[in-house]
Amino acid sequence: MGKENPKVGKPDNTAFTQQRLPAWQPILSAGIVLPLFVVIGLTFIGIGIGLFITSRNVQEIELDYTGDQEGAPCAGCTNATTNCKCTLPFKIENKFEGPVFMYYGLTNYYQNYRKYGISRDDDQLYGNIDSLKSPANFCSPYQMGAKQMPIAPCGAIANSLFNDTFRLFYKVNKVYTEVLLDDNGISWWTDYNVKFRNPPEINGSLKNAFEGTVKPLNWPKPVYELSTNPNNNGFINQDFLVWMRIAALPNFRKLYRRISEGNWSRSLPAGNYSLEITYNYPVLSFQGKKKVVFSTVTWMGGKNNFLGIAYLVFGSLCIVMALIMLIVYAKYQVQIDRDM
Amino acid sequence: MNITTDHLNEYAGDGLRTLLLAYKDLEESEYEAWSERLQRASKAVDCREERLAAVYEEIEQDMMLLGATAIEDKLQEGVPETIAILTLANIKIWVLTGDKQETAVNIGYSCKMLTDDMTEVFFVTGRTVHEVREELRKAREKMMDSTRTLGNGFPYQQEKLDPPKGSSVLEAIPGEYALVINGHSLAHALEADMELEFLETACACKAVICCRVTPLQKAQVVELVKKYKRAVTLAIGDGANDVSMIKTAHIGVGISGQEGIQAVLASDYTFSQFKSLQRLLLVHGRWSYLRMCKFLCYFFYKNFAFTMVHFWFGFFCGFSAQTVYDQYFITLYNIVYTSLPVLAMGIFDQDVPEQRSLEYPKLYEPGQLNLLFNKREFFICIAQGIYTSVVLFFVSYGVFADDVTQLADYQSFAVTVATSLVIVVSVQIALDTGYWTAINHFFIWGSVAMYFAIMFAMHSDGLFNIFPNQFTFVGNAQNTLAQPAVWFTILLSTVVCIVPVVTFRFLKLDLKPQLSDTVRYTQLVRKKQKPQGRRLRIVGRTGSRRTGYAFSHQEGFGELITSGKNMRLSSLALSSFTGRSSASWIDTLRKKRGTESPSAQQVSAGVSPQGAEASQVSGGVPLAALETGATGPAGGASAPGPASITEECAVKE
Repeated sequence: MGKENPKVGKPDNTAFTQQRLPAWQPILSAGIVLPLFVVIGLTFIGIGIGLFITSRNVQEIELDYTGDQEGAPCAGCTNATTNCKCTLPFKIENKFEGPVFMYYGLTNYYQNYRKYGISRDDDQLYGNIDSLKSPANFCSPYQMGAKQMPIAPCGAIANSLFNDTFRLFYKVNKVYTEVLLDDNGISWWTDYNVKFRNPPEINGSLKNAFEGTVKPLNWPKPVYELSTNPNNNGFINQDFLVWMRIAALPNFRKLYRRISEGNWSRSLPAGNYSLEITYNYPVLSFQGKKKVVFSTVTWMGGKNNFLGIAYLVFGSLCIVMALIMLIVYAKYQVQIDRDM
Repeated sequence: MNITTDHLNEYAGDGLRTLLLAYKDLEESEYEAWSERLQRASKAVDCREERLAAVYEEIEQDMMLLGATAIEDKLQEGVPETIAILTLANIKIWVLTGDKQETAVNIGYSCKMLTDDMTEVFFVTGRTVHEVREELRKAREKMMDSTRTLGNGFPYQQEKLDPPKGSSVLEAIPGEYALVINGHSLAHALEADMELEFLETACACKAVICCRVTPLQKAQVVELVKKYKRAVTLAIGDGANDVSMIKTAHIGVGISGQEGIQAVLASDYTFSQFKSLQRLLLVHGRWSYLRMCKFLCYFFYKNFAFTMVHFWFGFFCGFSAQTVYDQYFITLYNIVYTSLPVLAMGIFDQDVPEQRSLEYPKLYEPGQLNLLFNKREFFICIAQGIYTSVVLFFVSYGVFADDVTQLADYQSFAVTVATSLVIVVSVQIALDTGYWTAINHFFIWGSVAMYFAIMFAMHSDGLFNIFPNQFTFVGNAQNTLAQPAVWFTILLSTVVCIVPVVTFRFLKLDLKPQLSDTVRYTQLVRKKQKPQGRRLRIVGRTGSRRTGYAFSHQEGFGELITSGKNMRLSSLALSSFTGRSSASWIDTLRKKRGTESPSAQQVSAGVSPQGAEASQVSGGVPLAALETGATGPAGGASAPGPASITEECAVKE
């Protein structure tokens, strides 16, 4: 045979090149799988019980005020144009513990629709002057207003800002006390501080900063008049921020206010309440519904039975599967030929 | 003379090819006269061989003995063992060689392809189409006969031997048969109307040896098997005459050795020892198949899990093709987050260590039967992907639809589903990987860590400040992943996706373990003990005392070539043949050493390569040609024996 130089052409003889790397080779043996399933099952049942109890402790009341049925409190407002006020009385049976959160909810409202979801200009909302004066094309048809003036804020999302307002009154012996609603910090900290910035003020006035732009088509007031509080005006208005964070599913709720002022922050007492609604937002054209929700909040968030039930169900399934596998293993396992 | 004879016997006893050297002085005129007689003899119309033989006889007289040489032409080490182990792996081995029949049969015995206790060895040596057909038919009949006589009372009323119908019957016959067919008969057998018959007969035999085969015929045989049997063919050879066969087969293997590098250049794989073939097939081939199948399955699974979520989301977003994930996640998912673990699995995975692979050739079967990735397995992969997507989406949907304070928004939903997805597919690859090297660990855990690192980087303020319109997910990772509800969702999705998979695999291991599972289990259980009662007893070097050497007594391809059958008749071949006026073995020996012609004409004399050339076909019907190379005149034969010339031809001048 060849007496060639033995080094020529010979492949490396390392553990890597010769596929001799040390390795761990697990197998699915009964000793691992069955105890694992039992542990998972028990853990999940425990978690499920915890979550379910937590969720049950959340108190929540949901009030539909669409006014689509005859005789409903806000039925009269459905055809009115602007500033129609209607009153919705309701009763709370048990005291709501701790800070109560107030949400508005919409159904059949597809904020996750693609064309809607991309119709915004984050550059403009970041306070970029160039984008302020020339919004991105994504925003069309809400990009330019009358006389080719740029719209600020542009886009369909901004244009469809939810503009119903609420006032809550507690009724005691025919005396209505207003419950103070707090609108601080209802949006994400990063939204308020990082993502949305007003364009730099000109001569100390926000209105001048928006010189050369027009308000969105469906807004009653321009963006620099959203609130009298200068920390909540312009692009950084908290209600605006909450709305701009689009919802994932067609039926959603968004945080409106917190009841966390004075005595009300400890609990919302049981009794009769009256909600005064300024009905501006039309939803009947797409068979949508509007509602208001009052809810307490736990470490898990709001009321969420799904997780607790899912964990319980799956935990029990795991235990059942473990039992079945144990039976199968004990009885029907193919005997491994020990002489191999 | 006696001394030389003693030497010769000694050499032959050692199994060497002996060569005697002798010389004789010739006058110019003597030579001229004789040369003329030779010309006339070779141009003669009748009894040409006898005339030529007589002329040669004239000149090869009264020569002075110079001495004897001996040439070693051994089969390589490990050839019988390799053939035995490959046969156990359900690979059929055929030998296609240019040697004489006796040589080829000798080789067959010495590498244990033919054994003494075979039921019968069929020799097909017919010269005409009819004869060949007859011989093939007789062979088939004998094999069918044995089935009938040995069958347990199954009545075989029909005698239909149509090749397609008879095939399944023929394949299941008891008893071991071998077929030896020479090049001339093969030329007839490969004709269009008889090739199926030949193939059926050959496939029914345990071993097939084709001798006196030209390179073109080697390729044709391989082509035949490829065409009619749905088998993967492998051709292994070491000489230039094997190049066409190597190129025709699915897998071509060249043995680098004495014969030069043409075979090596034309092949897909090269090594220097024939016995490396068993490692190539049983270890690397099998691992390669396993890795490829696992890789494919996982790849389809993870992409279906990833993409089908959008299908379900469509029902809830007005079918507007809104993506569930962040656009950067979509870009990086297949490249960064999930590519490295599956790559590591595709490179390093081993189900059974290499020693076991060689011990249990039966492990090779799943590759032959396409068990690990076929339509069924594909649909199971897809189904698993779809199930994963359902779980991922609907668990998150259930949590979000019920609303959890600050979490009802689209971007949180995206982050939740994306994180669940990455974790689920990573756990799945962790389940799939059977062989965890350090690299696997690094890639799998590293990919998950990379996902979180990149996500936090992209959702950070820094990048947003530079490109506000691109990185719109600012603040998401921090806010969403700080919610315990999200982590519970992720945990639930992961477990719901993975637990059924674990259940199925466990039950399958218990109820229907494959051979590889069993071997793996015993390997891990008895890691330190010596395996008892190995299944394959290494074939010892005992057995019939056939030599392991190859030699031949006669001249080369001359007859076959000049018969005009299926040759690549290049003018070069013809001219160089007719120019060979002297067929004496000294001249041919000299010529062979001088020119290495890669054409169809293989000069008969010369050095045979030390490597064993073989072409093998794996799967249903493999072909193997043990080309022990050219024939060298054996010691003692003074002239090319005219054994093939029929007796009735008288030598006329």
